[in-house]
Amino acid sequence: MSTKTLNYDTTNAKSLLREVSERSSQNLSACYQCRRCAAGCPVGEETGVTPDRLIRMVVLGDREEALNNLLVWQCVACYTCGTRCPNNIQTARITETLKQMSKEAHLDPLRPRVADFHSSFMAAAEHVGRFNEIEGMGLYEAKTAIKELKKGDLQAVIDEMMGQAKLGMKMMKKKRMHFKVDKVKNVAEVKALYRKAKQGKGA
Amino acid sequence: MTMEMAYYPGCSLHASSQLYDIQCKMVFNNLGVALKEIEDWNCCGATAAAKTDDFLAIALPARNLGIADATGLPEIMIPCSSCYSRTLISQQRLSCDPEIKDAINAELGKKIDGKIKVSNILEVLRTKIDSGEIAAKAKKKLAGLNAACYYGCLLTRFPCDVQVSDDVENPQGMEIVCKALGAETVDWSYKTDCCGASASVNDAEESQLLMSRIFKDAIARGANCFISTCPLCQFNLDAYQDEVGKKYGIAERLPVYFITELIGLSMGFDPIEMQIDRHLTDAMPLLKELKLI
Repeated sequence: MSTKTLNYDTTNAKSLLREVSERSSQNLSACYQCRRCAAGCPVGEETGVTPDRLIRMVVLGDREEALNNLLVWQCVACYTCGTRCPNNIQTARITETLKQMSKEAHLDPLRPRVADFHSSFMAAAEHVGRFNEIEGMGLYEAKTAIKELKKGDLQAVIDEMMGQAKLGMKMMKKKRMHFKVDKVKNVAEVKALYRKAKQGKGA
Repeated sequence: MTMEMAYYPGCSLHASSQLYDIQCKMVFNNLGVALKEIEDWNCCGATAAAKTDDFLAIALPARNLGIADATGLPEIMIPCSSCYSRTLISQQRLSCDPEIKDAINAELGKKIDGKIKVSNILEVLRTKIDSGEIAAKAKKKLAGLNAACYYGCLLTRFPCDVQVSDDVENPQGMEIVCKALGAETVDWSYKTDCCGASASVNDAEESQLLMSRIFKDAIARGANCFISTCPLCQFNLDAYQDEVGKKYGIAERLPVYFITELIGLSMGFDPIEMQIDRHLTDAMPLLKELKLI
């Protein structure tokens, strides 16, 4: 478990707390650090950051830590912490918000594959209105491969391709791959929602 | 008498988990429920939307809700846990936030009125247990199956205040169905733990650790199979079991059945027609060994 000292930012603590609370619709101030969330978090041990700790980072205004920690990227959104929280704080909503804030601040994600997966998923779902597994996975693999190659890590690309090829072959053998593209006829309506999201006219 | 129910399969059930779509239609048809797939539905955004865009997380399922409302049917069944969760969350938000509802409705041909009841597959099955219809159709007793009923996260845990259809920490829906079919179930600790969902693709180390705990506990409790209602949970436990087993020193391999496969077998459906032979961890040997097929 991380015991890194958090910085209390006297000038910016309030604005960070307000921004995260509003965007996640969670009342972070209600947290009294009982750590019931920590006991149930399936990834806390590996990430070194449990939900209580993440909330503390935000409350103290430690923006750097709050936007750059493994829980933000490795939270599986299982909602266990929030379901058990006596004050009804859903930390999974907070990690979702911090992911978005981290992107807006142009920070490199600590787990780039997680960020690339979700952006690839959304791009594929926008294209024809439904998520096509082959298109989505193709986009994701291309994005991660380019990043690994830029780092000069050819082995990582080979390992990933071998792993996916193995799974793909297994799926082909069991007739689990589907090559038909399932399209939404009125995909214009779906694209209009995406446009509205980009204009920031929604939530 | 046949009743009609709106039905949202979602993207998985039209792709890698098409077998679940086929089984749902077979089983519910036999129970007198005609599943009416809503027309021209779109992807619900799954967890990706929530992690990238708060508006789309509500708006994508909202379009489907508008289409579902327009059918005039009272209820929509959504078998995938993620689609079900996202749709229920969207409906709840739309009901208490007229501003976002108007913003979304402005883009839609079929407007949301919010009337349709959003149900998961276990809720609908429970009504068919209570009415005795499943017992009446279940010809074959599934003796010898000792199932670890695996619910995962999204059937009972939500990031907002919605009506939860089962016990949050110890759900019983699948156990009740199993009992009606003559199958045994185990009491175990990981029934609502997370399999990692899409982390199986983008953070394999993490998801495999989570899955290893699930496999170990189910085996230690004496289960001989898993049962799932979620296509992603089913796929993860099914597709990665061998890899996780080798990595974590687990010798046993358990088939991961969809709940519809057990009901279908009990109803006397052909296992090949239900595509039970298409699992990635072979699901046929146990059924043969127990003389269930």
